Amino acid sequence: MGRPTSRTVSLGALFLAGCTVVYVLPAFISSFRAQQFAYVGIYLIALIGLNILTGYTGQISLGHGAFMAIGGYTTGILISDQGLQIAGHTFSNDLKDVWTIPIAAVVAGAAGFLFGLPALRLSGLYLALATFAIAVSAPAVLKKFETFTGGGTGINLFGIKGLTGSISGVHVFGHKLDFYDWLYYLSWTIALVLLAVAWLLLRGRIGRAFRAVRDSETAAASSGVSLATYKTLAFAVSAAYAGVAGALYAIANTYVNPDTFPITLSIFLLVGVVVGGLGTLSGLVVGAVLVQFLPLWSQEVSKSPGAPAVVYGVILIAIMLALPGGVAGLLRRVRPLARRLYTRPR
Amino acid sequence: MPVAFVFSEFGQQVVSGLASGSVYAALALALVIIHRSTGVINFAQGEMAMFATYIAWTLDVNHGFPFWGAFFATLAISFVGGVAIQRAVIAPIQGASVLTIVIVTIGLILVLNGAATWLWTGEVRAFHSPFPTRTVDVGGVAISLQDVGTLAVVVGAVAALWAFFRFTKLGLALRAAAVNPDASRLVGVRVGWMLALGWGLAAMLGAVAGMLTAPTVFLDPQMMQAILIYAFAAAVLGGIDSPIGAIVGGLSLGVGLNLIGTYAEIDVWFVHVNLTAAELRLPIALFVILVVLLVRPAGLFGKPVVKKI
Amino acid sequence: MSRKLALTCAALCAALTAVVPSALARESAEPGITPTSILLGGTAPLSGSASAFSSVARGAEAYFKYVNARGGVNGRKIDYKYLDDAYNPAQTVQATRQLVESDQVFAIFNSVGTEHNQAIREYLNQLKVPQLFPATGSTSFGRDYAKYPWTTAGFQPSYQAEGWIYGKYLARTKARAKVAVIFQNDDYGKDLLAGLKRGIQRSSVKIVAAEPYEVTASDVQSQIAKLKASGADTLMIFATPRFAIQSFVFVNKLGWKPLIVNNIVSSASSIMTIASEGGTSKAVVGALSGVYLKDPTDPKWANDPGIKLYRQVLKTYAPGANWKDVYHGYGMSVAYTMVEVLKAAGKNPTRASVMAQTAKLNIASNPFLLPGILVKTTATDRFAIEQTQLERWEKGKWVAFGALWGYRAG
Repeated sequence: MGRPTSRTVSLGALFLAGCTVVYVLPAFISSFRAQQFAYVGIYLIALIGLNILTGYTGQISLGHGAFMAIGGYTTGILISDQGLQIAGHTFSNDLKDVWTIPIAAVVAGAAGFLFGLPALRLSGLYLALATFAIAVSAPAVLKKFETFTGGGTGINLFGIKGLTGSISGVHVFGHKLDFYDWLYYLSWTIALVLLAVAWLLLRGRIGRAFRAVRDSETAAASSGVSLATYKTLAFAVSAAYAGVAGALYAIANTYVNPDTFPITLSIFLLVGVVVGGLGTLSGLVVGAVLVQFLPLWSQEVSKSPGAPAVVYGVILIAIMLALPGGVAGLLRRVRPLARRLYTRPR
Repeated sequence: MPVAFVFSEFGQQVVSGLASGSVYAALALALVIIHRSTGVINFAQGEMAMFATYIAWTLDVNHGFPFWGAFFATLAISFVGGVAIQRAVIAPIQGASVLTIVIVTIGLILVLNGAATWLWTGEVRAFHSPFPTRTVDVGGVAISLQDVGTLAVVVGAVAALWAFFRFTKLGLALRAAAVNPDASRLVGVRVGWMLALGWGLAAMLGAVAGMLTAPTVFLDPQMMQAILIYAFAAAVLGGIDSPIGAIVGGLSLGVGLNLIGTYAEIDVWFVHVNLTAAELRLPIALFVILVVLLVRPAGLFGKPVVKKI
Repeated sequence: MSRKLALTCAALCAALTAVVPSALARESAEPGITPTSILLGGTAPLSGSASAFSSVARGAEAYFKYVNARGGVNGRKIDYKYLDDAYNPAQTVQATRQLVESDQVFAIFNSVGTEHNQAIREYLNQLKVPQLFPATGSTSFGRDYAKYPWTTAGFQPSYQAEGWIYGKYLARTKARAKVAVIFQNDDYGKDLLAGLKRGIQRSSVKIVAAEPYEVTASDVQSQIAKLKASGADTLMIFATPRFAIQSFVFVNKLGWKPLIVNNIVSSASSIMTIASEGGTSKAVVGALSGVYLKDPTDPKWANDPGIKLYRQVLKTYAPGANWKDVYHGYGMSVAYTMVEVLKAAGKNPTRASVMAQTAKLNIASNPFLLPGILVKTTATDRFAIEQTQLERWEKGKWVAFGALWGYRAG
């Protein structure tokens, strides 16, 4: 690897600064806000994954809510105590929620891989349609297999043994944390770790292969990049990220049911990743903030039925018309300006 | 319990399947026209159709238009609306990435659905059908006149559209602009406006679909959402660039879903799959989308795309 | 960026990390209540496919404003804040947390949806926040009071009670009925079906076919066709308005003439009128349903003081609201009860004292409920409304018949 370049060092410093802001923030905000920012962290994880798929390999997914659902249900089922069963085994609250997160990642990742294989034959809008079809049918399918998903009633997680969080707080490293603060630290720690993992993954050979696939599949294939390997790998990785987000989402909501993963979730995730800025990791935080807060801000404008949706839609269209590259595209244009401001003439 | 085959019931399912299928076909045709001319999959087609239907309803109920008056007025308004949307929102990003366009159509869905809810509330409303609701007995099969009327209107609309494309200069220009925009520009075709025209025609087809289905499913802002998915399934099945495919796809999907919903009860491994469960209707349609996309992405009538390096 | 800057950054970070947030203290005793106001919070689907139910919140809001204009309750104005949850239980959870922890409401009131209230029930009970009159008829909300002492029943006959009443009616008047059921594939539809089954136990009434449908369906034509093919002579419609209307229409289209029983949720006159439009009246005439609220569109209440009050309150405090929407009436009737509960809780209500009052309701004066319907709860029977009037649709309106039916829980 050799000496780290100055760019790597400055990125590292930026990352460290970001970590510090994240860890220090709860001291300055209310517990309730911490909960909201915890959700931002959760969406960020899903967006990082979706970005790998869509931004880096150019495969469009309108169905990442379904992968979140897989992760969320994995966690929900594993820690439930409602008598859910698969193949004769009854789940009775054996696991702690935090340990189910990696399991959720693996299960969702496997699902992503399995979907990625046939998806190799689809491209562009066809893939969008196929993933859209999956996301729309997911709630109905989940309701059908009642014995292990709990059907429409769902799985209640609040107050059960497997849930670490509770209203009386959580003990971590000798400190006692409020449930929401604990949730915040949990999601952001995982988000920052996974962000670093994604960065490492993407700066090397794998990232270059991904970008080659996005820019021109024929060129990539003719230069020896195995399309099948990298496209399914991208699907698997992005689904695993969505699975982690889904697991955290279940823990945060303390409740899992098919309607908590509606098609609008998949749509808003794609919106977040595109508006945040495709192909780069920087605008994703903006995207995650939008996924969490834009619906709330739209309600501030007007609460009459229908009006928030109009506001949301208009904002989306306006942003896409003005900034086709998303917010990151804007940032990219701003950076050379900032640099010019910084350097002093000799 | 598998249902015994009784011809009268079979006939009934086929006829009603053709009627619902014709609605899917009309909407699928709208999707095909837009995709063929602009390369965009308009996810907002269903909401545009729903909004047009509300306009027809308002003209009928609040302004006292006779049904057919409201019908044609709505077609005209939808045409203008489709053109306006293309010019205002799609044309500026025509060259941008596929994703940008997808997000914009999603934005359109939100705006149209929200606007309909805001203007007319989410309450369910009745929509007058111009056709009598009587059934006619033909050989033991109860055929609803409304079904026949629906089928007739869609056939009429499709025929009119076909005539337009085949026999008018404007239609020829539109086809040319879709197939080869650069060459068309060279011969003086205003490609930008041709694309807008395509959106206007598609919007009209969507309005037809909406107005024909509203009497049966009743009008509310969510009315077209499931139908849009069936239309996607039909368009994919028939070939997303093939108008004939859209029609054949729509009709077969309508009939197929009804028949599967009545007769299909099978055993897959150790699982007894009862596809007759009516709540599986939508997942079955989605499954069709998936299977077709995987096995033959070009659909029944489409030409497989050959990528030239 | 120079190396020096990077190092300074890192040093600063290390220093700041020493600041670790401590646990935040929980708020004290009775939040949401001041000498001059009491804050209630709830969620409703203001956006999305179920936005028609949002009228429940708006009706309640209008009634509270009316009461506030007359001095409030024991000198306190009732502030009612409701948030959109887009009918998504995950949003219900977040919005409810906001109401409880950020807005510090006194109680959660009139939140809409079965799964939505189930999603927040554990949380509210552990935090000892009252969950008052959830807008759902799901039986578990009145039945599980021992496990969830901070949750009251919904403010309507439970779905099981309703289904039971229909079943008992059939057993009594159409002993050999062959019943077909179309039901929404969720707790609401299944609850009604379960009640029906209990009601026809020990009688010769048989359920010969039951077809579920998903809320995402575009239409229920194939379900009705299947039900007709079962040879049933009675059809139970356990569906929400849009699908109930469609059921009537398809029954007519297919030339089927069963006795139809429609459920309360979809029985508003305005809905029945839509279902009978365009010559479909044949299927609709003679249909039965239950009712416990005064339907504002029913001509027999045109001069009723309760309905006049309803219309006046809506006009003054919810301008632009559609008075024909019966969900506004529901909202007002539950708000009326809430006001009575607060009155009974006295000068200094606490969460506990308000909960205690909800277990000993005995109100006969609710102007928005049918005359004779008693809002009553006891220590062992927490279902607030257990009576239903049966009615038959004749010549464009509902005509009540028979006496009020009662249902004993258990």
